[in-house]
Amino acid sequence: MTSRASSAVEQPPASLAQPTVEASRQVEPTGKYPGALIVVEGIDGSGKSTQLYLLKRWLEIGGYRLHFTEWNSSPLVKSATRRGKQRRLLTPTTFSLLHAADFADRCERQILPLLHSGYLVLADRYIYTAFARDVARNCSPRWLRNLYRFAPVPDITFYFRAPLDVAVKRIMSGRPKLKYYEAGMDLNLSLDRAESFRIFQGRILAQYDEMIESDRFVVMDGTLPVNTLQKQMRQIVKSRIELARFAPKKSARGPM
Amino acid sequence: MTAAKSNRKNGRPKQLSSAAGASPRNYGLPLPGVHDEEFGGSLIVIEGMDGSGRSTQISLLTEWLESEGFAVETMGLRRSGLVAKDIDALLAENTITRMTLTLMYATDFYDQLEHRIIPALRSDFVVLADRYFYTLIARAAARGIERDYLDGLYEMAVRPDLTFWLNVRPEMAFEREFRKSHAISYWESGRDLSLSDDLFQSFILYQAKIKREFEALSDRHGFLELDGEASVVSVNTELRKRIAAHLGIQRTHYRPSAALASLWR
Repeated sequence: MTSRASSAVEQPPASLAQPTVEASRQVEPTGKYPGALIVVEGIDGSGKSTQLYLLKRWLEIGGYRLHFTEWNSSPLVKSATRRGKQRRLLTPTTFSLLHAADFADRCERQILPLLHSGYLVLADRYIYTAFARDVARNCSPRWLRNLYRFAPVPDITFYFRAPLDVAVKRIMSGRPKLKYYEAGMDLNLSLDRAESFRIFQGRILAQYDEMIESDRFVVMDGTLPVNTLQKQMRQIVKSRIELARFAPKKSARGPM
Repeated sequence: MTAAKSNRKNGRPKQLSSAAGASPRNYGLPLPGVHDEEFGGSLIVIEGMDGSGRSTQISLLTEWLESEGFAVETMGLRRSGLVAKDIDALLAENTITRMTLTLMYATDFYDQLEHRIIPALRSDFVVLADRYFYTLIARAAARGIERDYLDGLYEMAVRPDLTFWLNVRPEMAFEREFRKSHAISYWESGRDLSLSDDLFQSFILYQAKIKREFEALSDRHGFLELDGEASVVSVNTELRKRIAAHLGIQRTHYRPSAALASLWR
C-alpha cells in the first residue's frame, strides 16, 4: 500500500493517487458475509420508498431476519448537517463529505455488522444517491467513487425510473415547500425554487441513467401501478436471494 | 527549495499555474467551483506532533510577517465553522469509528480551505497552517485506513508553497506536553488503538507510528525537516530564513515584542 517516491524534492506535476473511476468501482458483492443487501434508488417521486416499504412488510410478515436503513438517518452528524444547511455553509465538497461521514457511521455500526451476522439489510437509498446527486453538483466522479469505496456492494439495486415530469408532479402535489439544497438552489440553476428543483432532478436522473449498466441496476418502471411493481420486485428478490437463509428457524410459514 | 527569483510589486513571487488538469496548486483535482488560478498569497504549513513547538513558532512568525507588512491568516485542525464543535463532541464520546472520524476531519479541513484559505490566498495573504492534511493522513493510516484512499480524499487540497516538519522524539514531546498541561490526551496517545495499558508506553508507540507515516509523507512531498528539539530561537531563525527567501524579504532581523518575549528562549 505504501507508495514512496524516491525523490525528496517536491515534483509539482506529480499527484496523489489517481485511481481511474473504473479502478475504484466495485460491482460484485464480496460475499464475505452471510447477510444480503437490497437497495432502492431513484429520484424523488419515483415511488421507491413505497415499494421498499411494501417489500419490508412482506418480509416482516414472513418472519425474516431483516433490518431497514435509510440514507441520512444517523444522529451522529445531524447537528452539523442541520447547521450547514440552515446557514448555507455547505459547498459541493463539504455537502458530500458530511453525507459520507454520516454513511460511514451507519455502515460501520449498522450495515456491516448486520451483514456479518446474517441479516437481510434493506436500504432506502445508498451510495448511488451520493454519486448521482454530488456529480450533479459538479463533484468529480473519480473522487466520489474513492470516497465511498468502503461500502459493501449491494446484492440487488432496484432503480425506480420515472420520467422527470411524472416524478416532479408527484412531489409538487404533496410537498410544496422545497428546501434550499434539496432544490439545488446552491447551483444557481434558477431563481425560482420549483424550476431549480426540476432542473436539478433532471441532472440527477441523467446520472442515475449513466450507472444502470456499470453498477448493474435492476431498472423498474416507476409509472406502473404500485401493486404490479411490488409483484415484480418480490419475484426478483425470490429469484436472486436465497430467502430461506433469513427465515426463522422453527416457523415454516413463508411469505406470500 | 528554490528561493523567490522575481520580486513583484508587493515583494513576492508569482505562482505558476499549469495548463492541464492537475495543477501545481492541487494534488490531482480542482475543487468544484474553484478554477485553476493564480493565487497572490502563499501557503506555509508547519507540521509536527503536539509538543514540537508548532504554535509557539506560528505566534512568532505571525508577528514577524505582520511587522514586515504581510497580511496573515492562520488555519489548524478542528477550527472550521461547520463541524469543529461536532468533532469535539464526537471525540469526547469515544464511540466514533475511525472512518467516520476521518471523514469528519476531512469535512473540517475542506470547510476551512474553501471558506478561509482560498479566499485569503486570493487576497494576497500569507496563510500559516498549524498542521495540514498530512497529519490527518498520518493519523488515519496509523489506524489502518488505506493510504491510497486517503490520498484520493485530499486530492483537491491546495498544495503548500512550503511545508516544515518540526521533528521531535516522542519522549521529548511527552515531556513537554506533560509539563504544559500535566496530562496527556486520550487521542494524542492513541489510546483507541489499545497499544498499551500504560499511558506513557501508549503515547510513545502511537507517536512512533505517526512518525513513520510522516517519514513517508516527507519523502513524497518534500517537507523541510527541522530539529524541533533545538531552541525556539534557532528554529525560528531557520524558519524565517526559508520563508524570507520564498517571499522575497531582504532583511530578516526580528526581535519579538514584549507580548511574545516569554516565548523567545
